[in-house]
Parts: sequence; C-alpha cells; structure tokens
Amino acid sequence: MKWNIPNLKELEDILWRCTACGTCKEAYEYGPPSVSSPICPAGEEFGFEGFLSSRGKIAFARGILSGDLGWNEALIDAIYKCNVCGGCQSQCELDHKPFIPEIIEAMRRKIVADGVGPMPKQKVIAQSLNSYDNPYQGPRRVRLDWTRPFKKQGKPIKNILEEPAPILYYVGCTGGYNVPVRVVPQATASIFNKLGLDFGILGESEICCGSTAMRLGDVGAFQRVAESNLELFRKLHDEKGLKTIVTSCAGCYRAFMKDYPMAEEYDRMMEGIRVIHTSQFLYDLYMSGQLKFTESLPWKVTYHDPCHAGRHLTKFIIDKDGTQLWAGAYVKLDDKDCLYDIPRQLLKAIPGIDLREMRRIKANSYCCGGGGGVMTGYNDWAARNAGIRIQEGMETGADQMVSICPFCHYNLNQGSQGIGSKMKLYDLTELIDKVLPEKVS
Amino acid sequence: MKAKKIEKKGKTVKAVKAAKAVKADKKERILKELKSIVGEKNATTDQHILYAYSYDMSFVTPKLPDYVVIVHTVEEVQKILKVANKEKIPVVPYTSGTNIGGLCIPERGGMILDFKKMNKIVKLDPEALYAVIEPGVSHGQLADALYKYNLRFGWPVGPPSASVASCAICHGIGHMNARYGLNSQEITSMEVVLPTGELVRVGSCAINPDAWHSCLPMPQMDGLFKGWLGSTGIVTKLGIAVHHIPPILKIFTVSCDNVDDMYSYMLNLSNYEICDDLTAVSWWLSQVPIPYPYKPKPDDAPEWFSYATTFSFTEKEKEARTEVWEKVVDEEKKKGTSIQVTHYPEEALKARTQLPSQIVGSTKNYCKMAGGGISWPGTFTPANRWAPIYKEWRKIMIGHNLSPAVRMSMYRGVHYGMLRAMTPFNKQSAKETENARQAIVECLKVDLDNGGMPYKPPVDFSTEINKRAHPGYLMLMRRLKKFLDPNDIMNPGKLGI
Repeated sequence: MKWNIPNLKELEDILWRCTACGTCKEAYEYGPPSVSSPICPAGEEFGFEGFLSSRGKIAFARGILSGDLGWNEALIDAIYKCNVCGGCQSQCELDHKPFIPEIIEAMRRKIVADGVGPMPKQKVIAQSLNSYDNPYQGPRRVRLDWTRPFKKQGKPIKNILEEPAPILYYVGCTGGYNVPVRVVPQATASIFNKLGLDFGILGESEICCGSTAMRLGDVGAFQRVAESNLELFRKLHDEKGLKTIVTSCAGCYRAFMKDYPMAEEYDRMMEGIRVIHTSQFLYDLYMSGQLKFTESLPWKVTYHDPCHAGRHLTKFIIDKDGTQLWAGAYVKLDDKDCLYDIPRQLLKAIPGIDLREMRRIKANSYCCGGGGGVMTGYNDWAARNAGIRIQEGMETGADQMVSICPFCHYNLNQGSQGIGSKMKLYDLTELIDKVLPEKVS
Repeated sequence: MKAKKIEKKGKTVKAVKAAKAVKADKKERILKELKSIVGEKNATTDQHILYAYSYDMSFVTPKLPDYVVIVHTVEEVQKILKVANKEKIPVVPYTSGTNIGGLCIPERGGMILDFKKMNKIVKLDPEALYAVIEPGVSHGQLADALYKYNLRFGWPVGPPSASVASCAICHGIGHMNARYGLNSQEITSMEVVLPTGELVRVGSCAINPDAWHSCLPMPQMDGLFKGWLGSTGIVTKLGIAVHHIPPILKIFTVSCDNVDDMYSYMLNLSNYEICDDLTAVSWWLSQVPIPYPYKPKPDDAPEWFSYATTFSFTEKEKEARTEVWEKVVDEEKKKGTSIQVTHYPEEALKARTQLPSQIVGSTKNYCKMAGGGISWPGTFTPANRWAPIYKEWRKIMIGHNLSPAVRMSMYRGVHYGMLRAMTPFNKQSAKETENARQAIVECLKVDLDNGGMPYKPPVDFSTEINKRAHPGYLMLMRRLKKFLDPNDIMNPGKLGI
C-alpha cells in the first residue's frame, strides 16, 4: 500500500514559514474580556525555548536540516518531550499552521529512520507491537478480559469475525489492556446492549490502530498495522455487513480519521464504511430519540477536551494553487469535525448534571500530558501535568471531570492521585450508562 | 568561526554563527556554578537549546550563546550577575524574543538569561491605577488580569506572549499612545539588578518599598535603564500605570490619495487630543498581508488610510468627539485635500484595534506572504518630516522590490510620532534577507538625516546613529555605561559604542 507521509526534508519550505513570533506560546482569546493561559505542557515543565511550543520545535527542525544540529541524546530526548497536542497549532496564524504536528512527527520519523530513537522506554512499544500487535505487551487473550462481566451476565458480546453485524465496536488497546480504563469499553458495550444494537467486536483478533507508533515516528510499525486493519475492515464490509466502526478511543479515532487517509488506497478500502466516535454515535441516537435519559445524576462536573478528539480533527483550508491568496497559503480552518460541542450537549442532556467549564477548553484545551508517547516515555511528567489539569478542573467547583478518551482517563486519574485530589476522571459513557435504564424501548 | 553557508535548491541559507569558543573546562566550571544557583534543570549548554535562542524574526545574523539560564527570583539574578561580572561573561536578558531588531541575539556569545518563569503580577492596585510586574509577564497575561477590573494598558501590535516590561523599557508603543504616550512613559517605578549584582530601586518604590506610583518628582534615574536595550541592568520589577476602559469605542476612518494630505489631517486632528490612537497606514500596510514582493497599488485605491480610535464613557462624550472629528474632516476638505471618510479594510482594522491580537500578533498581516522574516526602520520622527521621508522610503523600498508598508502614528499630541516601514522578507533566502537589510538601512539613513530616531535598533542602526551623534552624547553614554557596567557584560555590542 502506498502512503503519502512526508519526511522532514519535504517539509523544509513549510517550516520556514514560521516567523518565530511566539504567538504559539500562549493560549489566548481576545474576548473581550481576553483570556490568556499557558498552552504547552513541555514549555511549562522544561522552560527553555526549544521545548516551548511550535516555535521551539521548528528551531530544532531548522537546525537538523541546516546541519547545525546533529543527533545526540539530549536533542532526541527534547524532541520526544512533546505531547504533539496541537495546542500551539491552535494559536498560530501562519502558513505552516496546518503542518505543525506533522513537522514534529517528521523529526521523530527521521530519528527512527536514522536508527537513533525513539527513547529507550518507548522502544518497548515498537517491540510490543511486533510481538503482540498492541503497545502494552499484553497477550492477545487478555484483550478480552473486559468482556468477562458480560459473559457472567449471560450477555456475551458478538465476535464480528464469526457473526455478521453492521456495527464494529473497535475497542482500542488502552480500553482492552489498561486495567483501570476497562470501564470505558464496559460502559460502551453496556449502553449498546441496553439500546439493543447489533454490534460486534474483533475479540482477540483486534490489533492496534497504530496511533502510538505513528506519534513516536515509527512509520513502519504504523503502516503494518494500519494496512492490516484497512484490509480487515474491507473484508468485514464485504463479508459481514460492516457499515459503521465505532470507537471510544480518541487516539484510534484520530488515527482512522487523519492518519489512515494518508494511504492512497484509503477511499477504496473504506468505501461504504463510516468511522464514528462513541460520543458522536450516541449523540446521533439521542437526537433521533433512541437514546433517552430518565434517571438523574446530580453531579457537578467539568469537561476535558482530549486533543485527539478535539483540535487534532481540525481541517485546514490551504490555497494549493494560489487562486485564493497565494500558493501554499493557510486560508482558514474548519472545526466541524472536532468533538467540542457534542460531548457537552450529551452531558447537559443528562438530568441533574451541572457542567462547569474550565479556563482552557476546546481548541485551547490544556493537554492531559499523556499523548505523543509521553505517558510511556516520561510517565512522571505525564502524571504531573495531569495534576495541573485536575487542579484547573477543581477550580471550577466541579467534583468530577469527564472526557471521551481512555488515554486521558488513565493519565488524569493518575494525576489526580498524584496531587491527592478526590476528583476522578470519568468517561462520558460511564455517566450515560449510569442513567440509562436497563431496557430501552 | 565564520558563518557556515549551505547551498540548497539554488538558495543560500546562512547557518548560525558561533561566538569565540569558550574553553571546555571553563564552560563546565561556569555551568556547574550556574546550576548551583538556579538548579540543575535551569541552566544548560546543550547545543539544541542554544540554537533555539540564536535567531529571531529579523535580518540580524543568528548567533549562539554559550549558556542559557532560566531564572525565577531576584536573588538568583543577583548571584548570576555577580558570577558573570567576575568572569566577564556577556549577559543577554531575554523574555520572549519577539522584538524585530535582533535585540536578544548575543553579539558576543555569553549567557542568555531567560525571564519567562519570572512572571508574577506582584501588585495590582485598581484604585491607584498601577500594577507591579515581573519581566516575564506577557501582554496576554496582563490583559487577562486587568480585565477583571475593567482596566487596560497600552497593548502593542505584537503577539500576546510578548513581555510587557521589555516593550516598555525599550520605548515600545501601545494602542493608547496618542492619549498617554509611549509605554515607557507609563513606567512608575523600577527595581533593577545592576551588572555588578547590586539591587537598586528608582522612583517612589526607592523611598517606600510599597509605593510604586511614580518616578517623579525625584531625579528620573529610570532613564538609566530605558532605551538602553538591556545594556545597563536587568529590570526585575516594573511599576506601570494602568487605565480604565471606557465602554464606548468609536473608530473614525478616512483615506486619501497622498501622504501630504494625510499628514495635514493627522496634524489637525491631533490638536484636539481626542484619540487613543491616531494612526495612518499606506495602502501596502493596509493589506492583509503586506504584499511580497512589491506589487503596485491599484490606480483607483487610496494610498493612505487612517484609523483614529476613541473611547468614551458616555454617549454625549462620544458625540462631542464625533463633532470634533467631523469639524476636522470638513476643514481638510475645504483646504482642497483628498481626505475622504472611508471604510477601512475590515480584517486590518480588527487586527489593529482588538489588542492584544493573535491576528496581528502573529504578524499574519505583516510577513505571512514573505515567509519567516520581518524587520523595519522603526523610528520616532517629527510629524512635519513624515511626508518627505515617506516619499524617499517609497522609492527605496520599491527599488528593492519591497512594499512601502509604512505606518505613521501621532504620540500624545506632540506632533512627533512613529514612522516605520514593516518589511517582510523570505528568511529562507540569504539573498532576500540581505536585500531587505539594505533597504531598511537605507531608509534609516534618510530618517536620521531628517531628525528621526530609530527605536529598538539593531546594531546596524546603532552604528548609523552614532555616526551622527554629538560627541558629548557619546561620551556621556560611554561614561554611564562604564559606571553601571564596568566590565561591559550587559548585552555587549548592541549600542554600537
């Protein structure tokens, strides 16, 4: 399968569009009243320019391409000390804006291609992907452990490889293997059961979406699993009636929506198949009247926008041929795919929920600190950063935090424990499952 | 080491220039000492970090520091300066590096002192209308804090992340310069660490540690640290006046065919002192972004646009301001000038009046089309010389295939003000960068010869200033510099003396 994934050299002209103005360093909204906050977790933690926002990362890229910077442990470490959260991208207004995460990941791809990275702890991910098809070094049979309660209740979940189903619930590795996060697929499957949906899972045969490998620059590992998944999805469509892939993982969703389309055969492989995040899927059911909340949940909550289900899904309008502004100009953005309002509307629809907003939300959301390989490579820092976000949540007066990403789920709960907070991170599906009656007519 | 040049795709990209190498054992010893002051994580000699501090938006050749140190407290700053002074290591204060004159690029290597983590708003007195800030406080951060009290400061046309203190002490301007003058004129007190490490205070806070309201009536020793480009000391706390935000905004916009008519209108209107900001921009600067390379103005487009920003507390006050403005426009028309009430390009107006702004702050409307680089001849010039200088600048810029994107702003009704030409260039190309540098320096010479003075000047400008300077001025400057900084460690080379 042919992929159009740019290398750093191919992005050179684009990264020279950066003026080093530093607008990327701070989340800012004019208002009035204006709101200003730090946006870069690495900048907050490590301080030096270079670590801070896209201005710093582009300095590294320029230095690498000019030959002023050669590979050494400290530089490689600095390039991996980034969540690739896209917070800096949200601030930028220049022509390289659409490519900022791509530039950072292209540096990582060069690191991997040159055989000098990723960081030691992150190498385990690549090894695990090769050995187990997941980044958690988990045996394939463990992937199904989350389904045990359903078996016990006599409601085993259908394996779509064995029985046809129009809906594939793609669980994702974090929901499958990360024990504290198994509540996410459990709540999701419980809701689907209550709604009487005909859905299936891939069971032990599910393999990683490749997101983690892609974020770390291991393009080979990504392509291997991505191609395998695309071929499987095609087969399931043709042979098992698959029409919709639902995922509750923001990372998988981002991979399917943004990374997989870089395959030239993506359109052919995915023809007739829709990929949708659980929150959007449930929202559509809510709007059509199939999902009704009858019970109350009197919780004060705040909502955390995951990077991968939020700003990472922004589409950028670029003047490719120079007919609008000039060739290569960033014209405007389209954020209708970003899951900003949908989770909030679902939350507000739950009787009793009191939603309190944090200072940094939506495109200016402050990353939990887990993404971009940081949770694996720099676990302490990831948890510390999550503690900062939890603190921000607590300042709203909310008791709990809600999100739609298993990665954020794990990391923010770690962060909460780290600062001794009672605030817990819940997935939106956990709340919905609590208020959804057992049998929906 | 000479600048390394790399040929690529027919272009020449100048790589970073290293200062005279510091011996490895000395570097290691100094780094150890710095780390003992600020902590292991806050001092480095890592090449990739040094590289990230080596360049900015300007045409100034990138140069590497030898160390970068992040400071958090005044005590740390004092200790570091004592070390630097003893070891004769150059020190360059750095907040966000967003100036366009290469002011934080280390001419002689040494140490970058990064103040971004020293960013506390120490005091905000909404009744006495002043704030005390540390150097790392950004415009976005201060605007956020002030809005809670419906207060404001002079927001410059710069990114929200830029430092308030750095802008003010370098005589930067804000969006209220027609009413209150330069941001440096809003300074009420200072705490400064001298290059020798001693802590001093100037203004009212020198007499009473809690009084930060005024630099007057004592000798204005704040002048020892304003406009010196960080070469006489490090301001660690700055008192600044803040102001109420009147609720009614009214912007008056006009256009005309030539710079003489625009000057006539601005001079007339500024006599009444009704504006917070009275600015005119040439057609090229009114475009979003500035056309790069030069493109001719359409024949039917006005050459000049002006926006006059006014704020009023009541409708009657607004009506009074409107009456004055209408009178001025009427008078200008009767004189036979080409002044017309006009619609200012919407995005440009928004970018210039909704400050701090990401639109203009990211220099989107300045250099987006060129890519990478921007610099300027930025000057304070007598208003009656604006028109002749502009006509010369126009020829120079077009001769270099650059847009004459010129701005004129009246300062506090005193009939002098800012005259500058924002000059974007393609920084990826050494040839295009040098072309812009030459054009800018040529423009600067014209301005200097007409009585203008550059602000936030790169070294190229300082050289031109000093060529023309009164010998007594240079002698006094040298004496003061020697007195304050005996070992010439503070941002050396920037003053061109």
